Amino acid sequence: MSSFRRVFTSSVGTKLLIGLTGLALFAYLILHLAGNLLIFFGQETFNEYSHKLISNPLVVPVEIGLLLIFLLHVYKAIINWMGNQAARPVRYEKTEWAGHKSRKSVSSVTMIWTGLMTLLFVVVHLKQFRFGAWYEIGSPPIRDLYRTETELFTAPAWVAVYVLCVILVGFHLRHGISSAFQSIGADHPVYTKRLVVWGTAFAILIGGGFAIIPIWVYLTR
Amino acid sequence: MTLDSRTPGGPLPGKWDRHRFESKLVNPANRRKFTVIIVGTGLAGASAASSLGELGYNVKSFCIHDSPRRAHSIAAQGGINAAKNYQNDGDSIQRLFHDTVKGGDYRSREANVYRLAQLSVNIIDQCVAQGVPFAREYGGLLDNRSFGGAQVSRTFYARGQTGQQLLLGAYQSMMRQVEKRSVSLFANREMLDLVVVSGQARGIICRNLITGEIERHAGHAVLLCTGGYGTAYYLSTNAVNSNVTAAWRAHKRGAFFANPCYTQIHPTCIPVSGTHQSKLTLMSESLRNDGRVWVPKKNGDKRPPQQIPEEDRDYYLERRYPSFGNLVPRDVASRNAKVVCDEGRGVGESGLAVYLDFGDAIKRLGEDVIRTRYGNLFDMYRKITDEDPYRSPMRIYPAIHYTMGGLWVDYNLMSTIAGLHVLGEANFSDHGANRLGASALMQGLADGYFVIPYTLANYLGGTAFPVVTTDHDAFRDASDTVQGRIDKLLNARGKETPRQLHRRLGQLLWDYVGMARNDAGLGKALAEISKLRDEFWQNVSVPGPANNLNKNLEYAGRVADYLEFAEVLTVDALHRTESCGGHFREESQTPDGEALRDDANFSYVAAWEFKGVTAKPELHKEPLDFEYVKPSQRSYK
Amino acid sequence: MRITLKVWRQSGPAKAGTLVEYAADNVSADMSFLEMLDLVNEGLIARGEDPIAFDSDCREGICGACGFLIDGLPHGPVRGSTVCQLHMRSFSDGDTLVLEPWRAKAFPLVKDLVVDRSAFDRIIQAGGYTSINVGGARDANSILIGKDTVEQAMDSAACIACGACVAACKNASAALFTAAKITHLSLLPQGQVERYTRVVRMVDRHDDEGFGSCSNEGECEAVCPKEIPITNIARMNREYLKATLMRGR
Ligand SMILES: Cc1cc2nc3c(=O)[nH]c(=O)nc-3n(C[C@H](O)[C@H](O)[C@H](O)COP(=O)(O)OP(=O)(O)OC[C@H]3O[C@@H](n4cnc5c(N)ncnc54)[C@H](O)[C@@H]3O)c2cc1C
Ligand code: FES
Repeated sequence: MSSFRRVFTSSVGTKLLIGLTGLALFAYLILHLAGNLLIFFGQETFNEYSHKLISNPLVVPVEIGLLLIFLLHVYKAIINWMGNQAARPVRYEKTEWAGHKSRKSVSSVTMIWTGLMTLLFVVVHLKQFRFGAWYEIGSPPIRDLYRTETELFTAPAWVAVYVLCVILVGFHLRHGISSAFQSIGADHPVYTKRLVVWGTAFAILIGGGFAIIPIWVYLTR
Repeated sequence: MTLDSRTPGGPLPGKWDRHRFESKLVNPANRRKFTVIIVGTGLAGASAASSLGELGYNVKSFCIHDSPRRAHSIAAQGGINAAKNYQNDGDSIQRLFHDTVKGGDYRSREANVYRLAQLSVNIIDQCVAQGVPFAREYGGLLDNRSFGGAQVSRTFYARGQTGQQLLLGAYQSMMRQVEKRSVSLFANREMLDLVVVSGQARGIICRNLITGEIERHAGHAVLLCTGGYGTAYYLSTNAVNSNVTAAWRAHKRGAFFANPCYTQIHPTCIPVSGTHQSKLTLMSESLRNDGRVWVPKKNGDKRPPQQIPEEDRDYYLERRYPSFGNLVPRDVASRNAKVVCDEGRGVGESGLAVYLDFGDAIKRLGEDVIRTRYGNLFDMYRKITDEDPYRSPMRIYPAIHYTMGGLWVDYNLMSTIAGLHVLGEANFSDHGANRLGASALMQGLADGYFVIPYTLANYLGGTAFPVVTTDHDAFRDASDTVQGRIDKLLNARGKETPRQLHRRLGQLLWDYVGMARNDAGLGKALAEISKLRDEFWQNVSVPGPANNLNKNLEYAGRVADYLEFAEVLTVDALHRTESCGGHFREESQTPDGEALRDDANFSYVAAWEFKGVTAKPELHKEPLDFEYVKPSQRSYK
Repeated sequence: MRITLKVWRQSGPAKAGTLVEYAADNVSADMSFLEMLDLVNEGLIARGEDPIAFDSDCREGICGACGFLIDGLPHGPVRGSTVCQLHMRSFSDGDTLVLEPWRAKAFPLVKDLVVDRSAFDRIIQAGGYTSINVGGARDANSILIGKDTVEQAMDSAACIACGACVAACKNASAALFTAAKITHLSLLPQGQVERYTRVVRMVDRHDDEGFGSCSNEGECEAVCPKEIPITNIARMNREYLKATLMRGR
């Protein structure tokens, strides 16, 4: 009998972990997007919301948790990808997609690349926001994240970078969401088919939602 | 030499029990000291390997495939019989026994058949416990269908893939033993000779099909489970790698070949479409439960079937056999198809086909019901012929399907060589001159799961074994013989391919030793076969390396064996001047063209002893006594 | 019709391989793909050349022996069929087709289009059975199984172990093969006793053999000659998760 250690290093265990962490990140993205969309309600609402968030004593532990989930997701995905590369040392001369019921898509074959791009993006993004320019406003003073954001998105280059990156995230989610459910074992005669549709819908929603913000900021500033 | 069937005494129902009690046992601690070589991993071989492995013997299992799961048992479609009487329709062990003896046209050994009927019940239990997904009814009980002319529903099935599921059950059990190391697996090995030391089968020589190496394996007993020889006819429903090689080489070492002329021609196969064809595909017999067989009444009526009105159709089976109709046994159905085609009423381009029509059944039951019953078969038909059987009737024609003949074995499944046991289709034991549908699977599993564990113990426990290793002279001789034959094939460097020669042999056998045989034809076949054999050795082309995967070399070896075997097949058919079961001699028929047995002269098993490739084999007879089922003329009218 | 073939020829595992061009003339539409290859081989043998090695046995789509890629697709372009059931009427006169063997670390090449698939046997060996010795089984009808359940189990049990799923998967994963057996047995009452040890052992063996993991793309399902769906893989994952939670593996 194999040892306990293999639970999450086996192919299935690895995918379980990637799926679970992926879904957690997906859930986080929904919250994050919902929060960010508050920017449409103006400076005050947005800053109040962000202040509530960062002044909560739980925020650091949650952030650390999130970071660990994220890193685990990245780590497992990279290990998994390398293992999968090794599983076919000799490539085909000619390949073709099977089509039909297959879910293979540009999104599914680029998961590792959209994922790695996302990793890069997250580093930049954290640096620009979480650890970015700290302005204060009001009394007692709270962080003026609104200003940090609007300043950044006056630069068309950054707008382009952000839009591009969140579209890549959308691509990642396009396959990632339904795939994660499959990885954790969701199979249902009716809902499984809908999962793919819903996954795509959410991917567009999230990718699109995040993309609108910098564009909107850029156009309205 | 007298053939002793070693059938235990006493009343029939108690024979097997009594025999088990009187058999010797092998102490559990000693079992692993016995090496049992099992050649073949079909239903017979896999079930034997798993049950002997479970008992603790040291089993070595061989097959020509890359995986034991690919044995041709996998292709069986229709089902497996068992006298469970789950349907409360009057079945019993007694009735299954009776049906099988009668179906075999009174040419089988009663005691064997009775044992088979008894064990049939345990087989189903075993298979279900393994997780074989047999069809069920809504209440969760097992479903049965009536099959191949039986008047009770005793056939268990898993869609149209019964053989696959049974084989996977046996294979999985066997793999469990492989994991436990009680069975060692030797895939990609072809047995090319049997090693006999002081009258005992003590090992085999095989070729590693991947490396070309000639290997020697020693053991205390050898079990041949290598299937039937239907591919002697080139076109058959058997797999393209099926062969008589293992059995034939054992025959050359002294195992008698029994009743080789009993070959079964299956009535419902997809007709031949051209010379390119490499095999024929069976359409399960179960189709005859709902399909109606017919041909046009008029000769040469070439109208499409839908345009032939009811009154111009001849439902010849229903007409000639009112009580069994389309469900007459295979031999009867096949022969009648040949008769109507010979009359010029055959359909399709070649005129060698009859219709199997589901029009009425679809009208009566609806297309959906037909689809659930036969969907996969209809799909298969469509894939092969590009015609839709839901719209127009299938075209079918008989094809070689199963071989009742095989190496002679006694009640213990032991051949005329001590220690050489033969199981499954490779032996001749239970089906007489004709096998009933769904009973080959039953026999293979009965042999492997329930018979051999007892009879082999009896042999091993009661025999003294001198020490024999693979250095023994007998191993060297056998291995040299094998090597010599391979070299001869590689060095022939002729112009004809093994396939061309095989096709010619097949045509010869089909024409003269096929559905209807006669003295002149058989004589002609004999002359032609030996000519063809000479031509083979002079003109065969076997390029490619010996020390590597060389499928053409394997194939050439099998064809060479068929060319020798075909002779004893024909000799047997020639000597048996009666008609019985799958063997129809035109000289022996009733006034209305039915097969006529000659019990006074032929109520025996014909077991042939090898005397040399060009010499006539010697006939030995095992008389058959019928105490319980009195032979009568089979009638399905 | 006339077909041009570019066939992967490689005389052994350690040898170099390459695509070699052959012409198949007088091909009839009623031929199966393998019969067309037989024809090409007949020509090679008659000329004293080493014929193209490919595996096949039953030639009716059930033994799982045959299989190679035709123009990048395992078992060729027709859905739900093996190469032995594929007929030349699916192609047109003048086509050029590339034939390649399955490629995976776990399926080492033997020769030309033949690979060694014994890894599949070893996965089954790890737990693809019920541990029932011959002799002790109870009456078959004492186990009631719903018709739908058994039909579903049969859908999974229909796997022929041809290896197309591995060949089609970008990760050379045998998830579908492994999952089909796990699903078959986990659906049935007979399979319950070893339900959790089975999934863990089989998955571990799958990994040890060098197969990749499942990316949930479903190429396997699309090329599977028995059209076994990837919902089997979801079930395997779930069984595995349950095994982890309930047994700590
Ligand atoms: C298409 C078809 C449908 C059928 N349907 C039914 C049915 O519905 N019901 C029924 O009861 N019967 C049916 N039968 C008959 C039945 O399937 C067979 O008789 C039975 O499965 C034979 O099993 P076996 O174990 O004896 O041999 P096989 O399954 O043929 O196995 C032979 C084994 O021997 C090995 N082997 C052969 N030669 C060598 C060698 N030289 N060296 C090493 N290994 C060797 C092979 O690798 C294989 O493992 C059908 C047969 C066919 C062809
Ligand atoms: S040869 Fe058996 S599946 Fe193709």
